[in-house]
Amino acid sequence: MAFIDELTAAQIAAGVAAGDFSATEVARAALDAVEARDGAVQAFLQVTPELTLEAAARVDAARAAGEVLPPLAGVPLAVKDNMNLVGTRTTCASRMLETYESPFTATCVQRMLDAGCLPVGKANMDEFAFGSSTESSAFFRTNNPWDLERVPGGSSGGSAAAVAAGEVTLSLGSDTGGSIRQPAALCGVVGMKPTYGTVSRYGVVAFGSSLDQVGPFGRTVEDVARAMDALCAGGRDERDSTSVDCADSFAAGLEGDIAGKRVGIIPSFMNAPGLTSEVKEAVELAAHVLQDQGAELVEVELPHLDAAIAAYYVIGPAEAFSNLARFDGVRYGYQEPGCPNLAMQTARSRAKGFGAEAKRRQMLGAYLLSSGVYDKYYYAAQKARTLIVNDYERAYEAADVLLMPASPTTAFKFGELSDPTQMYLSDLFTISINIAGNGGITVPLGVGSASGMPVAAQLVGKAFDDRNLLTFARAVERGFEATTGAAGCRVAPDFAGKGGELA
Amino acid sequence: MALTQDDVHAIADYACIALEGEELEQMTSYLNDAVEMVEPILNYTAEDVEPTFHPIGTLSNVMRDDAVDTVRALPIDAALSNAAASRERQFRVPSILGGGEQ
Repeated sequence: MAFIDELTAAQIAAGVAAGDFSATEVARAALDAVEARDGAVQAFLQVTPELTLEAAARVDAARAAGEVLPPLAGVPLAVKDNMNLVGTRTTCASRMLETYESPFTATCVQRMLDAGCLPVGKANMDEFAFGSSTESSAFFRTNNPWDLERVPGGSSGGSAAAVAAGEVTLSLGSDTGGSIRQPAALCGVVGMKPTYGTVSRYGVVAFGSSLDQVGPFGRTVEDVARAMDALCAGGRDERDSTSVDCADSFAAGLEGDIAGKRVGIIPSFMNAPGLTSEVKEAVELAAHVLQDQGAELVEVELPHLDAAIAAYYVIGPAEAFSNLARFDGVRYGYQEPGCPNLAMQTARSRAKGFGAEAKRRQMLGAYLLSSGVYDKYYYAAQKARTLIVNDYERAYEAADVLLMPASPTTAFKFGELSDPTQMYLSDLFTISINIAGNGGITVPLGVGSASGMPVAAQLVGKAFDDRNLLTFARAVERGFEATTGAAGCRVAPDFAGKGGELA
Repeated sequence: MALTQDDVHAIADYACIALEGEELEQMTSYLNDAVEMVEPILNYTAEDVEPTFHPIGTLSNVMRDDAVDTVRALPIDAALSNAAASRERQFRVPSILGGGEQ
């Protein structure tokens, strides 16, 4: 019999449908893997065996009744803890929401459940998604499964680590400035930020409403494409006015031919200060394997990208300050006892409920939106945004997809980036598509020659061209395997086969 | 011009986050670093560039019927269940003006 971490989502769903094993057996194997592995990884803030087994029992009952099973029947799923799921707390890894019980289920989570996924638990994250290392979680750190002394990246660090350690097959994260693609790169898994509007944000605790987008993690491009199919099944969500209809089948186009297509390389990115040579080599290898499959490499420039980090750290904190104003300790969240009036209760509840980085971002946003400052910074940032959108539009006249790093380095050690503004600069390669809105995907490419840690490349597509983006991602995955004889993604060696036997 | 601790205290008041002592000091240093980091944005003031407030340019406002959505509206018990203090059908707060009775 197999171990749960050896199987793809497609194989699990097929095995359950064929009766090779039951969804309940899959659920028990996943819970066993979590039991054996999560003590070291600490990917989960909450594990929910009763929800996992209930969902599995529903799948098994449907099969017994002769029903056609949904496409991801029996696939173990982790959900970032900023997504509501009835029966769980949604804490955003913050003291502010430590006891907050989800009053409803987010659309993205519901759609994964409707597709037959088994919810295993809620994944750790940077507090309210503010961070690139998951170190700002108020509860505990999550360790990179490839080296427990290193960060998993962030903010969706728990979601990436749970997949990398083989505890679950799929997970959901959210990406405001790279929070899916950077941890995917650092943990060596596939992670996708779809085009803004593709996945509903209803029921996901908001950080930057014009930047946030939900997306999946998996160990293969096909698994991520199948998760995208599940997230978009049912079309536009009436409950999120910014969601759009994406009826495409993402998984169906994966093996498409890329011969004759143009892959854009941005020379200034490849020579960016801080980009390590092993990450650069990985991106060059990805370019090479695309070329081998008939793609043409072209050089493109994104001249206004130097404004991206500055624009992001105006727009992001401004939107975060506005969104997090709702946490006043009255309707939900931490409430400081014994305050003589409401203003004091609000200010003290927020001071105690929020951690350091959450306070920093809100203070920056408050300053940038204050009278006299707002006109100078906020308006300029939105103009820079126009220029960045135009840059991408011009780049896509010359190229069908862009290839670049996701993170400038492999996973760093805990505490290594202790200066918050230095940490912000590590978002260089991921941030601009949150500003422009188009989609991006991280494709793992084995381990780096110097660090032995996972390395990856990022592909960035046109807006609402995520199906083609996945085709290119699959081409990189396929080409890497053909060239090196090894899969670009594998379960972190210390955890592979540790618990989780599908008996 | 660098932000002073008094400036940051005023921002904290505006943000409704009670900051004092060492925390206020650290926040002042952080805000000055962060504002310096976003400074390059001040070069983007060209008159002929329209601002983009949202990545989906064609968005328009969505109106719904002015009627209670009984499917989406939380039952009162559920709406109150995450509140630290409630009474009957309401959230409970301390005095809004002054330091009166809690």
